Amino acid sequence: MGDAFKNTPPKPEKLGAMTEESLKAAFAGESQASQKYLAFAAKADDEGYPNIGRLFRAVAHAERMHARNHLSVLGGIAGTADNLKAAWGGETFEIDEMYPAYDAIAKLQGAAEASTSIRYAATAERDHQVIYDSTAEGLGAGNDLGATPIRVCPICGHTVIGDAPDECPVCGTAGQYFDTF
Amino acid sequence: MDTLSVEELERRLPHADELHAMDLADLKAAFAGESQAAEKYLVFAEKAEAEGLPNVANLFRAISFAETRHARNHLRVMAGVNATADNLQTAFEGESFEIDQMYPAYVEVAKLQGDKQAFKSMHWALKAEMDHKRMYAEARETVLAGGDVAAQTVHVCTVCGHTVIGDAPDKCPVCAAAGSAYRAFA
Repeated sequence: MGDAFKNTPPKPEKLGAMTEESLKAAFAGESQASQKYLAFAAKADDEGYPNIGRLFRAVAHAERMHARNHLSVLGGIAGTADNLKAAWGGETFEIDEMYPAYDAIAKLQGAAEASTSIRYAATAERDHQVIYDSTAEGLGAGNDLGATPIRVCPICGHTVIGDAPDECPVCGTAGQYFDTF
Repeated sequence: MDTLSVEELERRLPHADELHAMDLADLKAAFAGESQAAEKYLVFAEKAEAEGLPNVANLFRAISFAETRHARNHLRVMAGVNATADNLQTAFEGESFEIDQMYPAYVEVAKLQGDKQAFKSMHWALKAEMDHKRMYAEARETVLAGGDVAAQTVHVCTVCGHTVIGDAPDKCPVCAAAGSAYRAFA
């Protein structure tokens, strides 16, 4: 493995089945660590530890590099047209299968907070599915998406192209708090 | 755009709940799914940028952010966000697991199967987790003693994830990327 340390991100390669399993699990682990550290950073900021907030954000970024590298080796980074299709497929699975099943269980078990968290996510995934679909169609016709700002609700993740609504239709948060991309 | 106050966030966001085993299993799986979607979309954004599609890149980044909100909400319901001293301990334990168990096993499998790129990706991650473990341990000590950590810039190698507190090195000691490849968290 002497040539393994050149200064380029790892590339896709033909993988043994067990290595592929390992990389998938490692991608899942790094992704969750990155997201967890971002939530911990916000908490540290709230508690008056801005420098620990920064440490968590920096390490989240490092985990993000690991996640990207693992995904690259897995051959998970294609051209944008295919990436949009993969993204659409993921959203569709969550909308049709995953969240309805989880929501039914949360209701059965009377878990109100879990039900809220699941409903917020499931509702936003429908926005994402529609947006990915129309974007893929535009790209198929040779067009980038328009340069319109995209707004995201900081509470529930509701996503709109264009102006933020006065009030989030999913969770009721005022539009002035939406994050702009 | 305004920012919600801490109190308002607390009022509006889902809270930790007493969960049955199946709900907990679901939320764990949903947290895993949202986390992976958020990270994947950021990589797809870089790719769209490289292909000259800045607006598709912007879309991927925005939706990634939405998935980050979902991941945070699920984590809160599972009581996964606690006081910072406890969060540092959780982070320390996660890094320890990766260093002691997960990556050594995966590195061996990659060697056994002769998968060089996989080996490289695992090896780089393992190296960085060792830095993270030490930083989290030190930060926890500082918090327990009643302080924040010092206000120093943290640098992260954008190729392999090597992490240093203070100045970036001339060359990454793990992957040999130039110091200019580091991203600063100031």
